[in-house]
Amino acid sequence: MKNRILNIKNLSKSYGAFKVTDEITIDLHFDEIHALIGPNGAGKSTLIKQIVGSVKHDIGSIILDQEDITDLTDVERAKIGISRTFQVSSIIPQFSAIDNIVLSLLDKSSKTFQLFKSIRNNKDLYSNAKKILKEIELFEKSDISASDLSHGDRRKLEVGLALAMDPKVFLFDEPMAGLDESGTNMMINLFKKIKSNSPILLIEHDMDAVFALADRVSVINYGKIVASGTVDEIRKNELVRDVYLGYEI
Amino acid sequence: MIIEKIFNKWILFFLLTIPVFGFVFEEIYYITLTTKVVILGIAGIGLNLALGYCGLISFGHAAFFGLGGYVTGILSFHALNSELMFSWPFVSSGSSDMLVIWPIVILSSAFLALIIGLLSLRTKGVYFIMITLAFAQMLYFFAISWPNYGGEDGLSIYMRNSLPIINTMDPLTFYFICLCWLFVVIFISAKLINSSFGMAFQAIKQNEERVKSVGIETFKVKLLVFVISGTITGLAGSLYTDLNRFISPSVLNWQMSGEIMVFVILGGIARLYGPLVGAAFFIVLEQTLGGYTENWQFWLGLILILEILYVRTGILSLFEKKIKI
Repeated sequence: MKNRILNIKNLSKSYGAFKVTDEITIDLHFDEIHALIGPNGAGKSTLIKQIVGSVKHDIGSIILDQEDITDLTDVERAKIGISRTFQVSSIIPQFSAIDNIVLSLLDKSSKTFQLFKSIRNNKDLYSNAKKILKEIELFEKSDISASDLSHGDRRKLEVGLALAMDPKVFLFDEPMAGLDESGTNMMINLFKKIKSNSPILLIEHDMDAVFALADRVSVINYGKIVASGTVDEIRKNELVRDVYLGYEI
Repeated sequence: MIIEKIFNKWILFFLLTIPVFGFVFEEIYYITLTTKVVILGIAGIGLNLALGYCGLISFGHAAFFGLGGYVTGILSFHALNSELMFSWPFVSSGSSDMLVIWPIVILSSAFLALIIGLLSLRTKGVYFIMITLAFAQMLYFFAISWPNYGGEDGLSIYMRNSLPIINTMDPLTFYFICLCWLFVVIFISAKLINSSFGMAFQAIKQNEERVKSVGIETFKVKLLVFVISGTITGLAGSLYTDLNRFISPSVLNWQMSGEIMVFVILGGIARLYGPLVGAAFFIVLEQTLGGYTENWQFWLGLILILEILYVRTGILSLFEKKIKI
């Protein structure tokens, strides 16, 4: 129990008769990357939305760092340490890349309600933002409007926004979708580095990346966890091959 | 943005010179007209904070404009007639001192904005528009049915409220009082827009879900913007009552909310000087076309349609020059 930072028990959500998530029990240990894989529409992203609180679950509980957060709002969950990326890039389009990161740093630095001091004079915020931009290899594009960034750069910026929050756990929803090889490699190295500070629940369709990164893998299908184990165990699992992988690895 | 900045300086130049010309050539009418532009510009700048920068499409800002106007009118009415206003918890016969009236207007507008904001900001989109409209209409009908202060006929105050040493009855002096308030409001708005708080509320307009996901309490941010916005518009209402020495329920009507919104849209949404330019354009149009036809607003509608179709971001965007990074 002490080893778990995030513990989700029997989380369920239905839209009418359709069960999107069906009594999902899953946990996340310190220092680990736990990958969640499954076919499109299996309920992975809905699970993420339930964990962050943007979709209200019907039953179940969520424990973060031994604190029951089941009844907290999405903002309260973000404040106490849940940081996410979105399946479809969700950034502030008219802000530059660096301003997007600074926005993400505001709450942690208690500067949201600083009414009259120019944001540009907050040297600490901007120097921290620059460090993050270097980490996600976007430093050269700091001043470019987020709407003018390429798809791959927007994915990196999404991860940068999550990093800036210095959370207890990361929930990454397909962070590598649309990235080229070097972008994917950068993400893999970055995730390996940050997981010791903040473990990662990772949804990803790039199986090479999943198998290179994950300490544990859970497979979800029709809203249920159908298998869970180490990478080797999942690779050998026939049911998983049937429902998702579809081939022998 | 360079050309726009030069244009903004020209606006300030005209604001400083036109009334002086009016004074020199004894054309008081031009001073009154420019005073009206400045006051309506202040109301628009207030709405622009909520609508232009935070994406809160309030169709009820007449409530704040009217409240500011009525608070000023009622306080002044009692003071000038030496009538008791209330006797509990303390005795008051109102006040005709602007230094007393302004803080009361600011506090009461902020309080009303807080109440309306707390209820309406739980909704979004068309529901938010309808709730803010409903609040303003409630106040409008309340004012109509309140005979003590003129009801439908409105309330006249025979003297403009006063300031120590200064003769506020002098049109040029009163104009410069309003101009000072305009500068204060522009200064405060500019500071807010460029602050971390400004970054938060401008981000909310673009992507609220993302802002929530980084731990920012968007409800509190929107509420504070709404309160500041309503307070500024309330202050404009106070000055408007002093300009006309009259207040009537018409300033609480939805048409007033629509007009303030037109100033913002005409001049340029989310542009600091946009509402001021919009108000000036509106008044000039009213004065010129109004001389030819009673239905001058037909032409205003046509101009709005053309602007939304072809310019979209307001008159000021015509002076925008983008710098490529």
